Amino acid sequence: MRSRTSLIALITFVVATAVGCGPATADRSGSSAPPPQDHQHAVRLAAGAAAPTSPRQLRAGFEQLLGLHALLAVRQMRSVVTAAPAFGQAAGVSLQTNTDELTRLVSSAYGGAQADRFTKLWQHHLVDLLAYAKAVAGNDPSATNTARSALLADADAYGSWLAGASKGRVQADDAGAGVRVHVQELMAQADAYAARDYQRAYRIERQAYEHMFTAGAGLAKASLTPEVAVGVDTPPEQLRSAFAMLLGEHMELIVDAQRATFAGGSEFRAAAAQVNANTAALTKAMAALVGPAKAAEFQSAWANHVEGLMAYTAAAADNDQTAKTVAKQNLDGFAERLALYFSDIVKNVLAADPLTQAITAHDTHLINHVDAYAAKDYPKAQEMELAGYQQMLAVANTLVSAIQRTVKPQLPAGGSKTGGGGMACRRP
Amino acid sequence: MTAGRRRLAAVAGAVALLVLPTGCSGGREGRYAGVSSTAATRAPEQEAKGLHAARGFRSVRGYRTTPVPVRVEIPRIAVASTLDRLGRARDRTVEVPSRWEVAGWYAGGTRPGDPGSAVILGHVDSKSGPAVFYRLGELRRGDAVTIRRADGSSVRFVVQRTEQYPKRRFPTDDVYYPTLTPALRLVTCGGQFNYATGHYRSNVIVFATIER
Repeated sequence: MRSRTSLIALITFVVATAVGCGPATADRSGSSAPPPQDHQHAVRLAAGAAAPTSPRQLRAGFEQLLGLHALLAVRQMRSVVTAAPAFGQAAGVSLQTNTDELTRLVSSAYGGAQADRFTKLWQHHLVDLLAYAKAVAGNDPSATNTARSALLADADAYGSWLAGASKGRVQADDAGAGVRVHVQELMAQADAYAARDYQRAYRIERQAYEHMFTAGAGLAKASLTPEVAVGVDTPPEQLRSAFAMLLGEHMELIVDAQRATFAGGSEFRAAAAQVNANTAALTKAMAALVGPAKAAEFQSAWANHVEGLMAYTAAAADNDQTAKTVAKQNLDGFAERLALYFSDIVKNVLAADPLTQAITAHDTHLINHVDAYAAKDYPKAQEMELAGYQQMLAVANTLVSAIQRTVKPQLPAGGSKTGGGGMACRRP
Repeated sequence: MTAGRRRLAAVAGAVALLVLPTGCSGGREGRYAGVSSTAATRAPEQEAKGLHAARGFRSVRGYRTTPVPVRVEIPRIAVASTLDRLGRARDRTVEVPSRWEVAGWYAGGTRPGDPGSAVILGHVDSKSGPAVFYRLGELRRGDAVTIRRADGSSVRFVVQRTEQYPKRRFPTDDVYYPTLTPALRLVTCGGQFNYATGHYRSNVIVFATIER
């Protein structure tokens, strides 16, 4: 019964992706359909589209929206540094949509009045991030310092807000410290990017994304009574969170590498290094679940998948239709093999066919993303990125649920009989 | 700056940045199509270099397994023991070490340093005296545990807490459930001794995380 429910869930999101994203699944020819008129509302994360029905969904929603916030902010700041206003505007629209989603989630967790306060704080945060990027781009130390001070003040204001909104469950200093780390990371990556220290810039970007998952969990837990908060921090929930983070990160780092293909070689190599770091982390994560032998098998299948995506990207950047066709065919083969692997490790709780469809849908988002980016259709590229992120998180949740059902019965049982004399209980 | 002035400046800044993010002409389309005063100016030939690098992209491969643990050292309680490999008993519990003075690593679980909780078991006592983990319950937050591996490398963990649980309410998820954070669990017996069964009623568990 459970497995049937999971299959239905999986098929539902595959279908939803196809319906919601039109060309993302229907058209793999590479020809971009005209972008929707209103990109701001074209793509919404499920977490924010409806009020979460459980504390766990609340945690997942905050984690995923805040993680995405960090990435969108990074890209918007870099668009300022590189003077790419068309792309920056598209990223800015996505960032605003993300803020709207966050506000809805804050409203469902803390109430409308607190959500209003949060929105004002968050808008300040966005404005000050842009001001910082502009100051860096203009090589203006005075403006940089002003923006830095404003961002740190924003962090303190956020801490005060959360302390009040959570009715004291979180201390203002603690909450503010988390956001201070966030803004310091965003500033540091902008500095590094402007200095063309791309390795550092992309490394910090990844850290910033991961730290926002921690911040998201904290924001969710602060809205809950301690008794309920314990339930969203159980080992299974931590595992779900970690996998969602890594798979969402995979999607976003591929997006980064795709875009860097149109930049200089050093920037591409820096973006690619983080893709590889994510693959290594995912492989270690799989090892924790299925052991080292199966993890090595995963890495091989995943490496094919990643290389296939980058082969398509290079073909798209080179406008080589023949190479694009070959790359797509290869990706389909890699998707089938990866699906068989996942189906095997969850002991067929998930069938290979819907898994293949899910991985193919993921590929298609990235194919359409790079096609749109190559055509300088940045709103469409943003749309594909956000839809791909959402779909990847849905895959992560379905996959982890299936893995957990497989793992749980395999865990050792009960306590151990590690004493035989009775003298330990008589010691003073 | 007052809140009102700050808000006004913020809004003005937002408008300026949204309308003309860098003060450049609207004619510069594309990510690296041109820039006036930034450090990130790119020439057209750099675009080709990005493509060249993308063509040469290779994913990380060749997953290398972490070497197995062979020794545990806990200076605070004077423990220095080799590690036996432990499997699972028929009742699905983890086997216990066959020697009182030697601890054991649950080889069906995580290798120390990998994501997940590596689990090491040791006896607290025998009929003839203290065993290897006799003083395990004395460990407190901040105490160090070093695991040495077969290849000569080592990994250090830091104790976060020490708890005692009745065996009937053993926290299986907290000890064995997969996690993506490298962690260590040290397990021995504790609490009251049941002379009828010859076993303790509780387990003492030390929760440790990897030293960063």
